[in-house]
Amino acid sequence: LFGAGFGPGSLAQTSSKPGTPTAEIVAATNKFLATLDDAQRGKVVFDFKDNAQRARWSNLPSGIFRRAGLRMGDLTRPQRDAALALLAAALSPQGYEKVLHIVEGDEVLRKGGGGRPVFGRDEYYISILGQPSTTEPWMIQFGGHHLGLNITLVGEQGTLAPSHTGAQPAIYELEGKTVRPLGRETDKAFALLSSLDEAQRKQAILGFQMRDLVLGPGRDGQMIQPEGIPGSALTEKQRAMLLDLASEWIGIMPDAVANAKMEEIKKNIAETWFAWSGPTEKGSAAYFRIQGPTFLIEYAPQRLGGDPTKHIHTIYRDPTNDYGAKWWKP
Amino acid sequence: MVEAVTTISTLRRLPLLLASLVFPSAVFAHRVDEYLQATLVVIDPGSLRLQINLTPGVAVADKVLAVIDRDRDGAISPNEAAAYAESLRRDLTLRLDRRDLELKVTASKFPAPAELRTGWGIIQVEFTAAPGRLAAGAHRLTLENRHLAAVSVYLINAARPRSDTVQINSQKRNDNQSTGEIEYTFHPQPERTTSPGTP
Repeated sequence: LFGAGFGPGSLAQTSSKPGTPTAEIVAATNKFLATLDDAQRGKVVFDFKDNAQRARWSNLPSGIFRRAGLRMGDLTRPQRDAALALLAAALSPQGYEKVLHIVEGDEVLRKGGGGRPVFGRDEYYISILGQPSTTEPWMIQFGGHHLGLNITLVGEQGTLAPSHTGAQPAIYELEGKTVRPLGRETDKAFALLSSLDEAQRKQAILGFQMRDLVLGPGRDGQMIQPEGIPGSALTEKQRAMLLDLASEWIGIMPDAVANAKMEEIKKNIAETWFAWSGPTEKGSAAYFRIQGPTFLIEYAPQRLGGDPTKHIHTIYRDPTNDYGAKWWKP
Repeated sequence: MVEAVTTISTLRRLPLLLASLVFPSAVFAHRVDEYLQATLVVIDPGSLRLQINLTPGVAVADKVLAVIDRDRDGAISPNEAAAYAESLRRDLTLRLDRRDLELKVTASKFPAPAELRTGWGIIQVEFTAAPGRLAAGAHRLTLENRHLAAVSVYLINAARPRSDTVQINSQKRNDNQSTGEIEYTFHPQPERTTSPGTP
C-alpha cells in the first residue's frame, strides 16, 4: 500500500507486533519527522492549540474537502515507509490492518472511476499537533476519504475519539483474497441482533428510517439522547457480544489504551444502549448505534445511488473526552 | 391508474437514472437524488434550538439552488441566504405542549453553489425559540419539517440535555422522520432563598 513494497506482505510484518506504549509512538514519529525537509516539517507539524486543524477532518475525499498536513502521494518512498511505521506504532495490529484496508478500498474506487473528486491511496494526509512527547499532550491525524483518525496522546493515556471509519467498496478482492474493511463490525452487529428475543428486538429496533450518521464529521461537541435497548435489559452473553462489537472501534488503538477504555465501557454496560434501524436479515443494509455514558458508535450504510451494503460510514465519539480534552483542557 | 402511478414512479426516479448515466457507478460516493435534512433538537430550560444540516444530493442540488439563488447569478448573497433560512423557517412547525413557538434564525452557513452541486456541500441553519417560563413537570415538544418534501429525507434527534433539570423521557418519529415528538420533564432547581443572617 502507498506505493511499491506496501502490500499484504508489509501487513503481515506489522500484524504480529504487540501494542506499543507512547515512547515507541514518539520514537516512530520522530523517525518520520527526521525523513522530512524543513518545508515538509513546516507543513506537517501544527501547534497543539490549533483547534482549526484539530477539527479539520472529514469523510469526504480530496477535491471536496481540503485537508492540511502532508499528502501521502507527495512523499518519497522512505518518507511513506516512515509514515506507515508511525501509524503501525500508534495503532493496534488489527487497527492498522483496518486502516490499510480502508485506504486500499479507496484505491479500488479510484481505479473504477477516477476523475473528480480524487480517490486513491495517494490522497491521504498526515499531520502532527504539538511535539511528540511521553508526557505532554500531542496528537496524530491521518485521514482521507472514509477515514479520519484523531489520535490524542497524553503520557500513557490515549484516545481515538472522535474518529471516522468507512468503506467503499465495503467488499473487494485484493491479490485473490476477499477484503471487508468493516466486515467484523457488520457480522458482530447482526449476530447480536439475532441473539435478541422478540421483546428485546421490540426495544432495540427503531421504528423509523435512519438515512445517515447523526453525529458524523462536523458534529463536534454534540451528543444525542440514547435510544434502543439498554445493557441492563440484555443477558450476560448479549452484553459480552455488545462489548465485543464496540471493541471493533476501541481496539483500533493499541492494547494498553484500548483495554483501559473497554474496562470503562464494561463498568457502564448497564447504561449502554443498542439501537437498530432497517432490515434484520443478515447482510442487509441496516443502521445501528451503540451509546454509553463515555462513548458513541454509529454505523450507517449509505443510500447514495449504489448498493448501500457496499458503502458504509461509521463514527466513534466520546462525549466526555473527544480529542483527550479532559486530560489537557484547563 | 396503475399506469399513472408507474409514470409518476418513473419520473421520481428520473434524476437517479440520469445521474447514473452521468456518473460511473464506482464514484457514487455522494448523495444523489435526495435532500438530507438532519435536525438536532437542543432543549435547555430557557430556550429550544434546532440545529439543521441540509445536504442536497447531486441530482436535486439545482432544484435547491433555484430556491436559494433567486437572482441566478451563481452566488449566494447574504440576503438570499437569509431569505432561504426564512423559507425554511416557514416550513417548520415547533409546538410545545400544543402551543406553536416562534422560531428565529440565529446562525447560518452556506457553502458555495459549486460545492452544493457536488452532493457534498452542507448548509447549516440554527433556529431558536423561547418557550417562556417553563412549568415543572412533563412536556411534549413536536417538530414538523415540510421543507421541499418531494425530494427530502429527514433525521430528527434530541440532543442529550446539558442541564440536569431537563430529562428526555421518549422520542417518537414517523417513518421518514419528517415529524418528531420528544417528551421530556423539567425539574427546576429550587430557588435559593436568603434568610436573615445568611451571609
